[in-house]
Amino acid sequence: MKFAISLSLLLASAAAAAPPDLTGVWGIYRGGPGADPKFAAPPPTPLVLKPEYDKPYQAKRAAEAEAAKRGEQLASTGAQCIPYGVPVMMSVAIYPVEFIQTPKQVTIISEAFSEVRRVYMDRPQAKIDDVAPGYYGRSVGRWDGDTLVVDTVGIKPTVSGYRGMPHSAQMRVTERIRLLSPDILHDQITIDDPVVLEKPVTYTVAYKRMPSDYEMVEFVCDNNREYIDEKGIVRLKLHEH
Amino acid sequence: MNSLQTWRVRASSCALIAAAVFGATLPLLAHHSFTMFDMTKRITLNGAVTSFEWTNPHAYIEIDAPDEKGAMKHWSIELGSPSILMQSGWKFNSIKSGDKVTLIINPLKSGQSGGFLSQATLTDGKVLTNGPRQEPPPAPQK
Repeated sequence: MKFAISLSLLLASAAAAAPPDLTGVWGIYRGGPGADPKFAAPPPTPLVLKPEYDKPYQAKRAAEAEAAKRGEQLASTGAQCIPYGVPVMMSVAIYPVEFIQTPKQVTIISEAFSEVRRVYMDRPQAKIDDVAPGYYGRSVGRWDGDTLVVDTVGIKPTVSGYRGMPHSAQMRVTERIRLLSPDILHDQITIDDPVVLEKPVTYTVAYKRMPSDYEMVEFVCDNNREYIDEKGIVRLKLHEH
Repeated sequence: MNSLQTWRVRASSCALIAAAVFGATLPLLAHHSFTMFDMTKRITLNGAVTSFEWTNPHAYIEIDAPDEKGAMKHWSIELGSPSILMQSGWKFNSIKSGDKVTLIINPLKSGQSGGFLSQATLTDGKVLTNGPRQEPPPAPQK
């Protein structure tokens, strides 16, 4: 009897210590009327750029707004089928993301553009300057209680930024990923860039588990009819017959 | 602030910003904005499909159909991506070449014979929209 109680206590503590399993397909969760407010993503913190970066950023936003008034869209990486990279790929329209969790690696796949991230759980992070700049950089993770903390460095400055913000090679993305319920997942994303930002910016993406029979859809951009004209405007190529 | 307004404030993607401008029922584009299309205007095309391209970043319906003045034209109609379309009941073989279909489109602002699909009525009478709309989702499950 005593042994049984000890064993059950041991099992209970082991269960408490085991990290939650995030494996599954997660759709973007937007809340809405009647939704439980505790599952809604909290509002983002302000995006505050250093003045020398803010001025051109605001000018670019104004130019985009002016073009939109004329019925034109200025060239964007997305329109050219260039992937979004970290962290924008975590929230593209309503495209789901898939988490595949093993003890040594968490793999995250976005349905939009079939983007793949690998989060290594068994090794330390490298120095930023030692990581080849790319779209996904280098991600390492650790468990902080029930929260998966992911550290990412090595994002190329030309990769589209959160809200189109500029960023430097010194950008660091820290994510705190946590289940709020068995079917609701939050990814709290903090972007720190000592070159570009006055202070870090934090926003949260909320996800809801997709039905268990959901199958991720492939996304290979082999029929992009959008092109950029000589004035830098996005145009649609039409077929004549 | 009511919950719908809260939902709109929290919208972050380009599609959702556009939704806040045009109303809450805009379809979704991951890839570019709606600015080239006149989202306030709708044209109905009745015609024969010459091809249905189930591709990324968008699916396309190529169709021969008369314009508003009755002149026969060829039209290139852009849809969402297969991923988005599947979330509102489309399949890769929902339309075949030769099918007679009715399309409601938002035309290109340029006046060229192209546009963005709003709704398709297929040969069997089935009506499909261009992917899920940005309407507030239902309340979460318990």
